[in-house]
Amino acid sequence: MRRRSLILAGLAAAAAVVSAQKPEDDAILLAMREEMARAKTLRLQGVNDQLYYIEYGLDSLHSFDATASLGALIRVDENRARVPRVQVRVGSPEFDNSNYVYTDLFGAARAGGGVPLDDDLTVLRRYFWLATDRVFKGSVEAIARKRAALRNLTQQEKLNDFAAAKPTQLYQSTVKPEIKAEEWKKLARDLSSVMTAFPRVTGSSVDFEAGYGTSYFVNSEGSEYRYPDNLFYVRARASAQADNGMAVRDAAMVVARSLDKLPPESELRKAVEQMGRNVTALLDAPVGDDYSGPMLFEGIAAPQLFAHLLASNMGLTRQPVNEPGRNFPVPQSELEGRKGSRVLPEWMDVTDDPVREEWNGQQLQGTFPVDMDGVVPQPLKVVNAGTLENFLLTRLPVRGFEGSNGRARLPGNFGAKAAVFSNLFVTAKQTVPAADLKKKLIEMIGQRGKPFGILVRKLDFPASGSIDELQRQGMAAGQRGGSSRPAALPVLIYHVYPDGREELIRGVRFRGLNARSLRDIISAGAGEQALHYAGNGSPLPMMGQGGHVALHSVVAPAVLFEDLELEKRQEDWPKLPVVPPPALTSSVK
Amino acid sequence: MPCLSAQSTRLLDILSEELDRNYKALQGKGDPAPYYLAYAVSEVDAAAVTASQGALLSSSARRSRTIDVTIRVGNPKVDNYHSVRGEMAQFTAGVPLALDDSPDAIKRTLWRETDRCYRLAAERLITIKTSKEVKVAEKEQSDDFSDAPPLTARETPGAQDFERKDWEKRARKLSEALAGRPSILSSSVSAMGGREVKYFVASNGARLMHGRPTSRVMLSAQAKSDDGMDVATFDSFDANNAKNLPKEGKLKDAVEKLGKDVEALRVAQVVEPYVGPAILSGRAAGVFFHEIFGHRIEGHRLKDESDGQTFAKSIGARVLPDFLSVIFDPTLKQSAGEDLNGWYQYDDEGVAARRVPVVEGGVLKTFLMSRTPIPNIPVSNGHGRRQPGNEVVARQSNLLVEASKTVSEKELREMLIAELKKQNKQYGYYFQEITGGFTNTSRRGIQAFKVIPLVVYRIHVDGREELVRGADIVGTPLASFAKIIAAGDKLEVFNGYCGAESGSVPVSAISPALLVSELEIQKKESSRERPPLLPAPAGSSTLSASPNDGGVN
Repeated sequence: MRRRSLILAGLAAAAAVVSAQKPEDDAILLAMREEMARAKTLRLQGVNDQLYYIEYGLDSLHSFDATASLGALIRVDENRARVPRVQVRVGSPEFDNSNYVYTDLFGAARAGGGVPLDDDLTVLRRYFWLATDRVFKGSVEAIARKRAALRNLTQQEKLNDFAAAKPTQLYQSTVKPEIKAEEWKKLARDLSSVMTAFPRVTGSSVDFEAGYGTSYFVNSEGSEYRYPDNLFYVRARASAQADNGMAVRDAAMVVARSLDKLPPESELRKAVEQMGRNVTALLDAPVGDDYSGPMLFEGIAAPQLFAHLLASNMGLTRQPVNEPGRNFPVPQSELEGRKGSRVLPEWMDVTDDPVREEWNGQQLQGTFPVDMDGVVPQPLKVVNAGTLENFLLTRLPVRGFEGSNGRARLPGNFGAKAAVFSNLFVTAKQTVPAADLKKKLIEMIGQRGKPFGILVRKLDFPASGSIDELQRQGMAAGQRGGSSRPAALPVLIYHVYPDGREELIRGVRFRGLNARSLRDIISAGAGEQALHYAGNGSPLPMMGQGGHVALHSVVAPAVLFEDLELEKRQEDWPKLPVVPPPALTSSVK
Repeated sequence: MPCLSAQSTRLLDILSEELDRNYKALQGKGDPAPYYLAYAVSEVDAAAVTASQGALLSSSARRSRTIDVTIRVGNPKVDNYHSVRGEMAQFTAGVPLALDDSPDAIKRTLWRETDRCYRLAAERLITIKTSKEVKVAEKEQSDDFSDAPPLTARETPGAQDFERKDWEKRARKLSEALAGRPSILSSSVSAMGGREVKYFVASNGARLMHGRPTSRVMLSAQAKSDDGMDVATFDSFDANNAKNLPKEGKLKDAVEKLGKDVEALRVAQVVEPYVGPAILSGRAAGVFFHEIFGHRIEGHRLKDESDGQTFAKSIGARVLPDFLSVIFDPTLKQSAGEDLNGWYQYDDEGVAARRVPVVEGGVLKTFLMSRTPIPNIPVSNGHGRRQPGNEVVARQSNLLVEASKTVSEKELREMLIAELKKQNKQYGYYFQEITGGFTNTSRRGIQAFKVIPLVVYRIHVDGREELVRGADIVGTPLASFAKIIAAGDKLEVFNGYCGAESGSVPVSAISPALLVSELEIQKKESSRERPPLLPAPAGSSTLSASPNDGGVN
């Protein structure tokens, strides 16, 4: 069964609390605690590596999903699920069964029977009993194989496998899920019918997604937590095929961790209308060309850019112990090893703040109380006066750092968690009025004798295309000497002429855009814009993908770059259909 | 579940309109032009619940509509579906279609999918033509598509009375019977009820609406022997309308039996390698026939040059003892008082279902056919089937094993003993319950032609019976068919879901018990992982691992 379960790190606003179940009465916590106490006694005779750490996690989810297109419902799904996590570490924090290429394979809890939806203490305990048994046996096998593999390898650097952390307990009351199926189906239908006013936009859809979740955690060191973890998500996508066969697309997206913070329907309608207008305009826009020169990112494009370039580079990973002869390269942060180096202009700072709740009257979406290791996070200055000072860390020791700062928000690989940011604040101590940035851009192109400059107002971030499209894009980019790391495409990108006139273009992609490019920022605007989205830790998350996601907010000012590159997209576009699209029977004024 | 409303026939109109528009335009401007276009929609309304040991594990409901497009370019002799070196063509993708009967949304999806499939079809035809010219003429020269009269019909599928909330309660209650049993590691009770409506329109004028309800209860229990072998038992009940599923008392008895069987299996003797006589129960024989025999007479396997083609060139040859016949009959709704899974009115190419005698008096007469011809068999016999998202191939329906001479169960037993003595064996086997690699789940893969025994008894010459575990049927099971020496007089029904090349389709097998003079079994590969180190949590009874194993200090 293909089920999209959203597992999030977020904090529900103080909405009406229906059940304030005390931690001692909570069946899930009780079951986890009781089995944890027994599991601590697990031993295998004749084996040197015994268990030293156990961790149980559980996400209890109730989700609802409605998709509509042109006023018609395409899909409706309501799902309840309880998704468990069991981890056992054997050996010692200096050397255990994790950080080995087969850690996940042996450690996976393939328990018979799932976690019950009912709060039946016995059946809950049985799940953890059988899962721990399997995971424990698997961990003992994994560490033995890891030792064997190391006999044939020289380790470049000896790092410990697990960092210490202070135990914490945190309990918050949960909100009873309220699935307003009819209301939400109607919302999806009504928003999608807005697109009947744009007949040239041949593909469009609106998704409404509501996910109520409660996250549970108990470990053998005495850490425990229970907190509500909700997500409300409206996604609109639109695409069309231009005359040369190229797909043009745009998307509108709104996320909120509390239902009452979702914008009203009228605002959502406006966003869908704007999307329709954008795609229609893109159909008629001329195709751009290769370019090298000044580039201005304003509006939503600025926080999108910072999210895209910084987000996946702020956490550090490490290579697992590989099987000899098998190479398993793990993508590393572009900023690895650059602590103390300049990554931004000296007048810019970057702070990750998981505690703050609001900015400029908007709810911040990345706020969370405790991470997946049970560590409580504090605000962290990542870049200070342009210099990289800190990384986001979990309990995984990495080169140069041992000790968590509470950023483990997503599951990782080889027994570790992945560190991702929460609410990112990009601030500039030196700014100019917004209009002056465009003036500066025009001035610069004049100095270089260029016919136009480039202004970007929106990126396709998170990506709204299909997986196939993203793969094709990645391959095409790699062919022209670019990196195969997926790069966000511009959606609203303009020529800016010396007289100030703007002209929308299409068919170009960024070339050589990466974290290093940020050093070339020469000016920032006075206003700031916020981006709220759901990501999965990858450099280019896809809109609406299933699995584990974390909510983020990014606040950033408009920025002007000295020199960035564009290249014309040279892909094989599919031919236009032989058959013209069917005429619409309805249209909305 | 609501009854079919008159509005649903609106979908047929929308499909027809958009099909005609696309077909005309492609015939005019398409190069190559199509010679056939069909839209098939599967509309499913289903719910399912699962419980274990008194607690609910899952409960879900789903409504979906899926569209499959079939477009053929070239001509019926050579078109885009032509098989090249065993590679089967795949064009359709089973795309979601609007649930509301909205022309705008539906036509847009149809138009996009038609274009996508058309481009793939055109591309493949070019590949085929060049490959055909280059290659030496292939051994078999049957056409790629056969003719079939366009049918129009609107049948109202039967009602489905599956109350999810009610079944949540019932599943919890039934599953509770297996809670607190020391040797049962896990168990579950699942129930599901649904209704599928199929819509079919084609460029030759076919317009069909039909469908059926299905419901099922599945029971399972797992245990682990002290030597590490995993044992399991399984039982299921099918009915069209959930209100005709067995009543509470019968289900409760079935759950109890399941529990007892798996507990007995856990401590039963392990089998030794063996060749000799065996009895298959009616249900076991049905699964056996479906897996070992049924898959081999699905027509498309003979078209594929890379297939084993066990029965190729065997039309008119003897493939079974002369007292046995095998019929596939999708028009049969019931047998032995049970609803049959393999019943349908029209196959997935719009061809009317019909009774197909495949083996008569032991002689092979024909194969199961879709509209893809094979040498010497140029037309469909209404067995073109698929799960949405797959291309159609010939698949089984209701398999009936008929014996012209039968004996009572008692006599069958006596004949087994006589055969044992004749072959100088101390014991033989009785297979009460087996499952197929394909027949119980919808998993595709390498499990074709594989049968997995679940409940097996050793029958001693002195009549004594004992339960055994770990039996695996090996050797050439197909050879056993020649060695069927007698059939029982009572028919049993096995209802299941078969997952092969075109996905999961509902099927059944109806057979009497069979006595086989030679069946080869050996001990199956089993897990060596020991039972859990700690005893079960308090509240369940305790069954600890052996004290020498570690476990609680």
